[in-house]
Amino acid sequence: MSCGELREHYELYALGLAEEPEHSEINAHLERRCEACAEGIRQALALVAAVGASAPSAAPPARLRRRLLASAGVPERHYGWPLAWAAAALLCLSAAVYFSGRERQYAEESQHLRRQLGDQTTELRRLQEAFAILNAPGTTEVVFGKGQPAPPNGRVFVNPTRGVMMIASHLPPAPAGRIYEMWIIPKGGSPRPAGLFQSRGDNTAMHIEPGPVDVAATAAVAVTLENEAGAPQPTSQPLIVAALPPPAR
Amino acid sequence: MERRDSRALAQLYDRYGRIVYALILRIVRNQAAAEDLVQETFLRVWNRAQSFDAQKGAVGPWLMTVARNRAIDYLRSQEGRDRKLAVFEENEDPRLYSGMESDIVLADEARRVKAAMAKLPDNQRQVIELAYFDGLSQTEMAARLGQPLGTVKTWVRSALAGLRKTMEAGVAE
Repeated sequence: MSCGELREHYELYALGLAEEPEHSEINAHLERRCEACAEGIRQALALVAAVGASAPSAAPPARLRRRLLASAGVPERHYGWPLAWAAAALLCLSAAVYFSGRERQYAEESQHLRRQLGDQTTELRRLQEAFAILNAPGTTEVVFGKGQPAPPNGRVFVNPTRGVMMIASHLPPAPAGRIYEMWIIPKGGSPRPAGLFQSRGDNTAMHIEPGPVDVAATAAVAVTLENEAGAPQPTSQPLIVAALPPPAR
Repeated sequence: MERRDSRALAQLYDRYGRIVYALILRIVRNQAAAEDLVQETFLRVWNRAQSFDAQKGAVGPWLMTVARNRAIDYLRSQEGRDRKLAVFEENEDPRLYSGMESDIVLADEARRVKAAMAKLPDNQRQVIELAYFDGLSQTEMAARLGQPLGTVKTWVRSALAGLRKTMEAGVAE
């Protein structure tokens, strides 16, 4: 058969699908070094080989390379991978310990900062309330303890809509299990509880009882030392008494 | 390659190991068998390297041909079919690969072929895959697909023509 007749069988030959007599004819042409057929088969083989490259990609296991090289008598250093794995494992372990420590540290720092922020927010709110009482119209200011031989002393500010604020100095922190309690004492009737507070380490204190106050009906603001749960009525002699002046006529 | 040194084998495997493994695994669908056949393929090529002029010949397509032949032979023996290895091995002659582009089986070329295969009608792509990856003859394909032999032959010829045309046009780029 001529090369022209065989041309359309080159790819079938490359795929292993060529039938007789074309299969034997192509072999005969290749045997006698037929350049036309050799070139045609070459192109067909390239096309068919490229079809093989369309197989879904898959990665061979690493051991296959070692096995192949070993089977060809290629010497290989065997300590490389175990050593590398050991180093990698050690690195991972160190990283785990390090990051676990860091994570704990960050968590503690974060908690501390959150606490600090909470404290500052509370303090800011207290200061805003204090300024509101100080600046609001109709606030009555009362000085207490002035000229007395025993501490404490300070001032009380009473505003009919904003509430009562007391600032004291020379007021040592209440002993363990005890707390200071403020009272609004009406001109008639029982003292009304006005909140619990503790003084600071520098013996100063600022306490605010927000809310409306009937200033005209209030005789005084007082502070007693009570059990830490507080008390519905005073159980001890007052440490501070700030008597409100009679309303202006 | 000609010097048949250990570095050449390592380089050959590093360059083509992945694609050869993927091809063989696609054919035999068995990892352990695929590893054995990859080893056999590379050793066969490496042992015959003296008859192959790497400067003039394309190692990649040659490797793929040897790999496919080994895998199809394994598959046919597993399925109790006539092995026909001698027929397949005819296209392993290194001289047939001289002057061929070696990287035709790598990267861009592989993508181009995948695209070309994807463009084929389903029946045409199926017969090419059955021939290439399952090593079926046209008669065996006709029996498996329940189609007349003439129809299968037409599909094969049309598929090859379409593949060639798409490849030449480089449409995948």
